[in-house]
Amino acid sequence: MSTFFYLLGYLAFFGFICLAFLKIRSYMKASPLHARWELYPVPHEGEKSSHGGSFMEEKDWWCKPRHVSHTSDIKALVFEVLFLHATFEHNLKLWFRTYPFHVGMYMLMGGIIIVLFSLFLQAVGIAPDNGFMIFIGNVINAVVLFGGLCIVGGGLALIHRRMNDEGLKKYTTPEHYFNLGAFVLFGVLGLLAWACSPSFFNMARDFVCNMLSFNFQPLPSTFFTLHLLLGFFLMAWLPMTHMGHLLMKYFTYHDIRWGDTPTTYSEANKQKIPDMLKYSASWSADHICGNGAPKTWLEIATTNPATPKSES
Amino acid sequence: MKDNLQLTDVSTVEGQMVSIDLDNIPKLPLDMATMPWKPATDEQKNTTACILDDVCVLNIPKPKDRAEEEELVNKFLDGMRKLFTTENNWPFLPMLETSMDYCAQCNSCSEACHLYEMSGEHEMYRPNFRSEIFRRIYKQYVKKEPLAKWRYGDMGLNWKTVVRLGELSYRCNLCRRCAQTCPIGVDNALVAREIRKLFSQELGINPRELHEKGTMHQMKVGSSTGMTPDVVKDNVEFIDEDYTEITGVGIHTPFDVKDADILLLHNAGEVMAWPENIAAFSLIFQEAGLSWTLSSKAMAYDGVNYGVFYDDAQTARIALQHMLAAKELGVKKIVIGECGHAHKVLTVIADRLIPFEYQVPRESCYVTLRDIVMSGKIKLDPSRNDFPVTLHDPCNIVRLMGIVEPQREIVRKIAPKFREMPCNGVNNYCCGGGSGFAIMTRNNIEQWRGNITGRKKMQQIAEAFKECLGPETRKYICAPCSNCKGQIREILEHNDLYSKNSFAYGGLVELIVNAMVNVNPGFIKWESEEE
Repeated sequence: MSTFFYLLGYLAFFGFICLAFLKIRSYMKASPLHARWELYPVPHEGEKSSHGGSFMEEKDWWCKPRHVSHTSDIKALVFEVLFLHATFEHNLKLWFRTYPFHVGMYMLMGGIIIVLFSLFLQAVGIAPDNGFMIFIGNVINAVVLFGGLCIVGGGLALIHRRMNDEGLKKYTTPEHYFNLGAFVLFGVLGLLAWACSPSFFNMARDFVCNMLSFNFQPLPSTFFTLHLLLGFFLMAWLPMTHMGHLLMKYFTYHDIRWGDTPTTYSEANKQKIPDMLKYSASWSADHICGNGAPKTWLEIATTNPATPKSES
Repeated sequence: MKDNLQLTDVSTVEGQMVSIDLDNIPKLPLDMATMPWKPATDEQKNTTACILDDVCVLNIPKPKDRAEEEELVNKFLDGMRKLFTTENNWPFLPMLETSMDYCAQCNSCSEACHLYEMSGEHEMYRPNFRSEIFRRIYKQYVKKEPLAKWRYGDMGLNWKTVVRLGELSYRCNLCRRCAQTCPIGVDNALVAREIRKLFSQELGINPRELHEKGTMHQMKVGSSTGMTPDVVKDNVEFIDEDYTEITGVGIHTPFDVKDADILLLHNAGEVMAWPENIAAFSLIFQEAGLSWTLSSKAMAYDGVNYGVFYDDAQTARIALQHMLAAKELGVKKIVIGECGHAHKVLTVIADRLIPFEYQVPRESCYVTLRDIVMSGKIKLDPSRNDFPVTLHDPCNIVRLMGIVEPQREIVRKIAPKFREMPCNGVNNYCCGGGSGFAIMTRNNIEQWRGNITGRKKMQQIAEAFKECLGPETRKYICAPCSNCKGQIREILEHNDLYSKNSFAYGGLVELIVNAMVNVNPGFIKWESEEE
């Protein structure tokens, strides 16, 4: 039975990786080159970004070297992810609920990284009863308590708001409640596991160690086991829902909202445009293909539908 | 009609679904009367599917029988399938897909929308309302995802849903202020534009002002105004003569000058409606000693490209002709006149649609004018502009291109009483005429622009001039975009705000010419001065 449990763990992990890969690949394959659709302010515009300006404010901008501040993009994205700045600015009531929820998840994700770090330290010879390892254990135990409370509190607050806000209620589907409910239960089970065991850190470390070493030992706590089972499910389920924004926010921000690279500066894009124009469109309106065969975008762009048929 | 509107009502309600109660719309500090909705005529009711609200943009013929109803739904589904293929929609598919899959339904976008606010926060005007209907149809009927009804919510699909969704796509100015506030990067304005595309490109349904009288007319005669090359040259010659007399400076607008540095691309509507704008550009460029020209080639004397509001094929066709005309003349760059959408189409959208070898560099006139004003090439006396001035930010140029400061540098230099509107720069609000509505006046569209879409802009203007709102002080609303001027003009005229508040409106170039020391004083006219 415990082997099956660990297999589920591998399945969830690889499921997450595969689904994340498929989601990203699907985005990349949707179009080798999409139109520019930027929205200002764009952080990489350097000093101009403070007023929302762009390189297009410069006379003869195409004759000048292009300066892109990648660190400003990264800083803006990290700031957004860590503090949910857009929600804070534009939907404060929601931010007070969703921020704890997100912080809780960040803490549990961060906790996993710390556990992996502790295993690394153990592998290089630091004893589990070393003072630093004990410190890490205390950190993890605190992180789980605080993170669990945040997820449960934030999740319940979000459910409450969705049930009681007339505007949100109309747009809330059973899946929204299911997702939030699953996270709340995940948090509750984590808190119970924390409360009923001498050290959550030891359980987590042993579990991760077992996973890495293919040692399928049974887990000591029922709550911890249930907490992980639900975690496995959420890991695989998350990319299939709107919560996949965890993965796609990079693209919606970096590639779309801030994707302002002019063709002048991109040899790759110069090559791609003629290829894009070879795609065949089959739109049926009279001014495009009518009832005729598909046409390439090049044919469409170079046809004048207002010209009398005999002249065309 | 529904008071407590639900998403699924688009497929179930019989007759007109919604009527915006004008008693619920916010009051403004300006003396603006609401414009009552005109009831639809019996003929309209019998023949046209005006079943969303009091407005009717698309004039979709009412299906006569079940077969026609099914045909409409099937064509819509065909179009939706095509919209989600790379071959048919490579320029916009990634943005569309992310907007379909990752919306958290948090409704942060609602507060950002001027239509939602100025309709009295009517449910139908939430930016997410139409997107969510579209999403549910996509998941349930096109993608056919398992458990779609449970996961994404149910949505009935019939001819009423299709017609109402088409109309809903024209209850948005495409200003993308909602997209700017989205924490995830979902773009509800893009969804509205994609729905418009689906209707135009697959069903051949589009507003006649944008298609027949817009892009098709432009491709047929050379300009959506109907001006042929000969007519536009004659008209500009008349403008030169008139404004030579008015300004006291000889004006000559050059056409078709080979190898000039600049091809100036006006919105041809200026020639017809605001000749002072054409004259002002010519005067400034001439006095600054620029090497420039207009083109008399069909399409290339009209920077308008309404395709960007509703149809990718039309967008690409017109943008290509603009580029080819510039190539043919051998100019170094195209400078785009005071037209917001022309800026965005040719500079941003066309940048990845037109092969690079056919492209000519494009620059905003705000940048060119800033260079002229700051260089001292023309002599300016700011005291000639000694009246309060505020600046409207056209969404297409400011939020969607990041051209924010050049126009401000000019205004700060030449208008000592300049003041910003609240929510300016990239946080601006649309004038209310955005995405083609400025040129539409039928079927309560004019009432809609006056009651709802244009109301926020007037609130901003009133706030900017709050200490001098009365008729005693002359005030200038600088709106450097043709469509925005058209929208603001409608509201000022309808409410007689010219005399009640001594407003004048116009572009940036008029304000510059008004300050030029070698020009007769008083280039900008207020109503009390006009004959």
